[in-house]
Amino acid sequence: MSLRSLTVRRGECPVVDRATLDVTAGEVAGLIGPNGAGKTTLMRAALGLIPHAGRSSLAALPPLARARAAAYLPQGRQVAWPVPVAALVALGRLPWGGADPDGAVERAIARMGLAAHRDRPATALSGGELARALIARALAQDAPLLLADEPAAGLDPAQQIRTMQVFAALAAEGRSVLVSLHDLGLAARHCTRLILMDRGRIVADGSPAAVLTPQRLAEVFAIRAAHADTPDGPLIQPVAVLDANDPKI
Amino acid sequence: MRVLARLAATVAALGAASLLIGPAGLGPGESLRALVAGGPEAAALILREIRLPRTILAALVGAALGASGAALQGLLRNPLAEPGLIGVAPAAALGAVIALQTGLAAAFALALPLTALAFAGAAAAALVVVAGAGGTLTLILAGVALSALAGAMTSLVLNLSPNPFAAAEIVFWMMGSVADRSWQHVWLALPLMAAGAAVLAASARGLDALTLGEDAASSLGVPVARLRVQVVAGTAALVGAAVAVAGAVGFVGLVVPHLLRQAVGASPARLIPASALGGAAVLLAADIAVRLVAPDRDLKLGVLTAIVGAPFFLRMIWTERGREA
Repeated sequence: MSLRSLTVRRGECPVVDRATLDVTAGEVAGLIGPNGAGKTTLMRAALGLIPHAGRSSLAALPPLARARAAAYLPQGRQVAWPVPVAALVALGRLPWGGADPDGAVERAIARMGLAAHRDRPATALSGGELARALIARALAQDAPLLLADEPAAGLDPAQQIRTMQVFAALAAEGRSVLVSLHDLGLAARHCTRLILMDRGRIVADGSPAAVLTPQRLAEVFAIRAAHADTPDGPLIQPVAVLDANDPKI
Repeated sequence: MRVLARLAATVAALGAASLLIGPAGLGPGESLRALVAGGPEAAALILREIRLPRTILAALVGAALGASGAALQGLLRNPLAEPGLIGVAPAAALGAVIALQTGLAAAFALALPLTALAFAGAAAAALVVVAGAGGTLTLILAGVALSALAGAMTSLVLNLSPNPFAAAEIVFWMMGSVADRSWQHVWLALPLMAAGAAVLAASARGLDALTLGEDAASSLGVPVARLRVQVVAGTAALVGAAVAVAGAVGFVGLVVPHLLRQAVGASPARLIPASALGGAAVLLAADIAVRLVAPDRDLKLGVLTAIVGAPFFLRMIWTERGREA
């Protein structure tokens, strides 16, 4: 996926401002930034779901080709009807006319640990189960790129880690993942790269250690965080909100 | 698809029963002979020119209403959606009422259905112009506004009717019926309904994707804006034709998809053909019932579907409550 000066305006005000970005195979790229930074809008514009200026390699594709190139997991976990989980996951095969020669649906169900739930109506699942079922739906699309908008929100710690591990496994297969996250520690430990957005702009892009500096956390998130390096990766725990009038900022 | 096979068998059985029941008092054997071979003149006339078009129309109208209800519920992602909601059915009824009031209906046989169709088409066009580019909520709101307008205009026509008989004729027409229809009505409705059904069938996969919301459906390659126009147009053709030939038959489009949703695994795509068959079965049964319950009182189809349908629906909601949460 390649974005060049991607811009989305709401009225006069740019919600995404000249975003330039490449996501390449084998990456788990974390998209971070405070609420309203433009993470969701960036993903939607990149997919061509909303009007935008600038260039997105995905949005330039015809709808079906785009659907085969990129799977999208929206933030809102909407399921309108009590469809069985297996049928829900199989919706991921629509861009292929419903065909599933390689058993992508079964693989996605197994990968997300949904085998026991496959016949249950999706509307009867718990929040965490539904989140997994929807991730499985996106995996069943078997696209080389996954755009996941806050997939970890509302998941318990084990499910958060498992979800990030699934993304890492996708990257190991040579696919790429662009995932927006609010948990900076989770982002730092599980993403190969972080893209930091602030008020519509990409203000930093690089390794987690390079992006999550105390100064940026203060400038962009207005927080102070405790850092520690552990054998399991960096720990980042926000501990205080900084006062905008504080002379230290 | 065992569900579809069972529904088709039910429709076939009810269709046969509908052909065999009527005030002429013909025996089953006699009826069949008259239908197939011609037989005695009066019997053949009754079967071929009265009962057969009536049966076919009941099935067509029921199928049109059931399929439209299923498609609209899928499009709007709401189990309360029904063909009356988007204003096409009330607009068609308004057209028919104007034809009755102005005397146009008496000018030639198809004047009334054609006027109804013209109004249905105009309502669908207005809906697409106003709400085509907007979202689901815009579509519902525009439909509700159109329904209200058509309903008010219908009341105005009734209000201004020159005498009680004219008003009564309009009121009775609006209750819906497939009695005393001819092959002309079948040939008018059939092509439109076939076209509408084809459009809905082409929309089925997109409706399945819409289960996940509009963004996810778009990301799966579904052209959501075009899908919306397709479903409105297909529904307008089906419902416009149904109202034009049978008047306002309520409840089928709302209840039948709801009844069958679980049996087809809640997939909107599979619900459309199932609801078409289910709607046909319900209207055939209702049309048989109006002939059996009060043969000499000309009980209206729309009255019966609501009287039987509403309590049944309530009971279903009663047994289902708590299960969905």
